[in-house]
Amino acid sequence: MSLHHEHPLLRIEDLTISYHRIPAIHHLDLALEAGHCVGLFGPNGAGKSTLLKTIAGLLTPETGQIFIGGGKVSGTASRIAYLPQRETIDWDFPVTVEGLVEMGRYQHVGLLGKFSPTDCTAVGDALELFRLTPLADRQIKALSGGQQQRAFLARAWAQEADIYLLDEPFAGLDRTSSNALAEALQTLKQRGKLLLVSHHAIDEAEALFDSAILLNGELVSSGPLPEALAPRHLECAYGTAIYSGEHHRMKERAHQI
Amino acid sequence: MIHSSFINSFLEPFGYAFMQRALLSCAMIGFTNGFLGTFIVLRRQALLADALSHSLLPGMAVAAMLVGLSPGGLLLGGLIAALLVALGGALIARNSRLKDETAVASLYIIAFALGIVLIRFSRVKVDLTHFLFGNILGVSNGDLWIAYAAAFLTLTTLVIFQRPLLLTLFDAAVARASGVRVSWLETGLLVLTVLGLVASLQAVGVLLSLGLLILPAATAYLLTDSFSRMLWGGAVLGLLGSVSGLFLSFFANIPSGPCIIMILAIFLGAAYLFSPRYGIVARLLHLRHFHEESLERWEGHQGHDHEMLHPDKSFQSGDHQEGS
Repeated sequence: MSLHHEHPLLRIEDLTISYHRIPAIHHLDLALEAGHCVGLFGPNGAGKSTLLKTIAGLLTPETGQIFIGGGKVSGTASRIAYLPQRETIDWDFPVTVEGLVEMGRYQHVGLLGKFSPTDCTAVGDALELFRLTPLADRQIKALSGGQQQRAFLARAWAQEADIYLLDEPFAGLDRTSSNALAEALQTLKQRGKLLLVSHHAIDEAEALFDSAILLNGELVSSGPLPEALAPRHLECAYGTAIYSGEHHRMKERAHQI
Repeated sequence: MIHSSFINSFLEPFGYAFMQRALLSCAMIGFTNGFLGTFIVLRRQALLADALSHSLLPGMAVAAMLVGLSPGGLLLGGLIAALLVALGGALIARNSRLKDETAVASLYIIAFALGIVLIRFSRVKVDLTHFLFGNILGVSNGDLWIAYAAAFLTLTTLVIFQRPLLLTLFDAAVARASGVRVSWLETGLLVLTVLGLVASLQAVGVLLSLGLLILPAATAYLLTDSFSRMLWGGAVLGLLGSVSGLFLSFFANIPSGPCIIMILAIFLGAAYLFSPRYGIVARLLHLRHFHEESLERWEGHQGHDHEMLHPDKSFQSGDHQEGS
């Protein structure tokens, strides 16, 4: 962890990503340190998913570079864990929670290598950390939404990832599951991981994240909260003043009167 | 006495060399294709494999015109045609907007039409009836070697690459991001599928070859939540179905292909109805079970409104009940 003073854990330089030559993100520069839970905000089409997918290595950037801990992104794939949106996963797949977490170890054990005691401990620890031990034998569809998200976080933990990329993980979760997921994210943050989480509800930002990135095809603002989501930045990102925390509270007050 | 004569008549088929070859060939192909089937079922490519199985026929027709009706030449012709369709389809899908099932379906139907046209101009009379429905009792030693080679190549490849294949099947995008060579694995699977189809031609024929690939794996899918159990379970079901289908064919004097497929169909039907977790019967019983449980909970909670308002508490207690 001491390295991160010289090199931020994740550094992005001059990143442009295009679909069929039409840029979705322009010339983005960013530096993020370990031990933070960063919310990624912006209107639809702002490039939130695109940015996450590019950091994960799913899309090839048109210009620019991504550095992990000072090194180039290639060869560091196991340090990044990308949690896909829920609808891209086949929940009927014949795999249990334990089997899913074991997948996180495949890069460490290789093609035919046996699971060593270290690997088994890593799987057990991951299940324990995300309170999934009693559910280890469940098929992944037989879990609640929040438990499913935690199972994927446990897989990333077993993989020994340092950077967690989550694409709208709170979408479709009820309040209980959301709270449990938020708690799991805090646990990861406290253990020195970097979390980059796209999210749509700006009024929940301060409850979930310690800093934020505001995107709208390009970087609008980034940094600690609440500064990064100050009204002038929001206005810039969303075009007009939108439903934010402050407005929300004022509205509520108006209702009470 | 009745007992021993029953056993004797049961063992009768083993006395013939052609039957021994047929049994060995059936067992190997049934096992291998049952194993391979898991990958096809989980990739949802059953119909793509169907298209490939049909593309064998024009290849065999062209081979018959060029080199005559020797089994080796026919199988090679089928193999080449199906590989051209499979790999050509993958190439088109990668380089254009067309998705792979559209590309493969287009190519195979073009190959089929081309085959019919070529046969019209052929001087040799081409009769491929054997290959439409299979002729397992005609298995020669050469065919047996083809089955050995196909089984060995398919099983070793799939076992060695089981882990990256599992990652690819589960989530190809994430697998690619974590350094798995997804497109290589997908192409490899296509090639093995074609090989499996060709190897099963003698046993069940072009029209039914898909059955050995799909039915055992589909049955295993309904019975287990473990990937490796689905793999090996599909293989064992494929072996059992092929061998018992062959016996049925011998005693009832029905062609082997339909017999094998009917036995595999009985397995699938039984799993569909009676699978302990995913069967129709279990689901109907569970519905009642859940209904009774919720009724109990409702009666138990009446007058305890504050607990109803805290879904997390009741949720967690429900968790433990189901988990135990």
